[in-house]
Amino acid sequence: MEDFETLLKGSAAAHGHLCPGQVVGVRMAMEGCRLIGLDNPRELPQIKKLIVYVEMDRCATDAISFVTGVKLSRRSLKFIDNGIMAATFVHLETGKAFRIISKETARDLAEKYAPEIEDKHQQQLEAYKRMSLEDLFDVQEVRVTVKASDMPGPTRFKAVCQNCGQVVRDKREVMKNDRILCRPCALGTYYQPVTPQGKKNV
Amino acid sequence: MTQVIPGEFKGPAFKKGHKITSGDLCRLMRMGKNHLYVLDLAEDQVHEDDAVLELASALSGPGVTFSGSPAEGKLELKAEYPGLFKVNIQALEDFNMFQDVMCASIHTNTAVKTDQSLAATRAIPLVIHRADLETAVNFAGKNYPIFSVKLFQPLKIRLIITRNEVYKGLIKDRFKSIVEQKTTDLGASLEEAVILPDDRDMISAQIREYLEKDTDLIITTGGMSVDPDDVTKAGIEDSGFEQIHYSAAVLPGAMFLLGYHKNTAIMGLPACGLYHRTTIFDLILPRIMAGEKPGPMDLARLSHGGLCLNCKPCRFPACSFGKVG
Repeated sequence: MEDFETLLKGSAAAHGHLCPGQVVGVRMAMEGCRLIGLDNPRELPQIKKLIVYVEMDRCATDAISFVTGVKLSRRSLKFIDNGIMAATFVHLETGKAFRIISKETARDLAEKYAPEIEDKHQQQLEAYKRMSLEDLFDVQEVRVTVKASDMPGPTRFKAVCQNCGQVVRDKREVMKNDRILCRPCALGTYYQPVTPQGKKNV
Repeated sequence: MTQVIPGEFKGPAFKKGHKITSGDLCRLMRMGKNHLYVLDLAEDQVHEDDAVLELASALSGPGVTFSGSPAEGKLELKAEYPGLFKVNIQALEDFNMFQDVMCASIHTNTAVKTDQSLAATRAIPLVIHRADLETAVNFAGKNYPIFSVKLFQPLKIRLIITRNEVYKGLIKDRFKSIVEQKTTDLGASLEEAVILPDDRDMISAQIREYLEKDTDLIITTGGMSVDPDDVTKAGIEDSGFEQIHYSAAVLPGAMFLLGYHKNTAIMGLPACGLYHRTTIFDLILPRIMAGEKPGPMDLARLSHGGLCLNCKPCRFPACSFGKVG
């Protein structure tokens, strides 16, 4: 794995700007990989051994993705919408897993770690670089059961919605009233069709 | 490699893929393993961990999920969401007639919660012949789904509590809290509840009023027995339900009524529901919640296993009550 500064530079470039979230995300990812014994997660063979569950969709998530190489499209990045600045790093072969939580108290310690900087944003950014891991994070060893239908790799499961005919991958179908349905048909949609034909009449 | 310490531990001491080092030798010897074997799989052989993934995939229908990492050649099938667990019993029995595979499950028609264990499957030997595995997998595929979970629907429920003594305030109603707890536990909502005297016309009028509202299930309590005062059944009969099934081969709950009018179901609960923690209500409600319409044959089928033993403390659903098949 590259050194912290190189990873931070790359992460900021990929994310679009340098921010405290990038610093926290890079350090979280480096520590997560270290704890589960991966030193080169972005390349084969380690790229196939890692899944990361992120619990927020904010800046740090991009940094974690950059450092570890995990991606939604590869099914190695999972988003759990908890609104918590935390991520769990899972080694698929050994089952070893650690959840790292960013401490809210770290904000209050920024002044202690970077007293010479007045601007709050810059102070946080610099302080999070210097801060001890103990001050920055809480760490839990955990066990995560990764479902077969959540695993990376080729699509193993496919069903066809008996209402709309849509193919549903990865066991996301639902049995409702004796019919196998996609989630939009069974549970409703997050969107409202504008035209009666919906998807066809664009 | 499984380690068993009686009463303390049973689990994998060494998982597939573990690279043996000199540091492992002592532990192996303490486990009584003095020999290690080299296994080269032939082309037509499948390791148990790979085989069980195929078996679980073939057995698991909608709402049934399992880990991507088998342990000791076994996989536990779990509920993806709350609902009614369904088993194609005949197909499951036939599946277990195939060589070198097995699968055991909990009973069909059990109300299950997310992540609840439903079944477990494995290949019996360490390596299974590809042809045997494919036979079992193809059979499960043809009988898909052998296991599924029917989604509980957020039914809108309206309740009618009958009995003169409750209506007059001589005794306090306890049915509402019982019904509310049991229905909301499964994801339904109790929209309304009224207390009525044992008056056939009033009960019937109230049911008709409920039918005009957005109601999925009407529940009446009390008045289902044989006394002249027990008029709830007559009130239901007057209110326009096309299908009414009265009495069930279940104790407690023999004087139970189940009926349907278009998309609305009605359940007449006998007063035993006040005394017994578990009754026929607990057997039929999950099926209604899952969108089923049990009929007379379903009620009769409950007879085998339909006797509650009144255990103290009650362990339902972890008991034989209501378990068919």
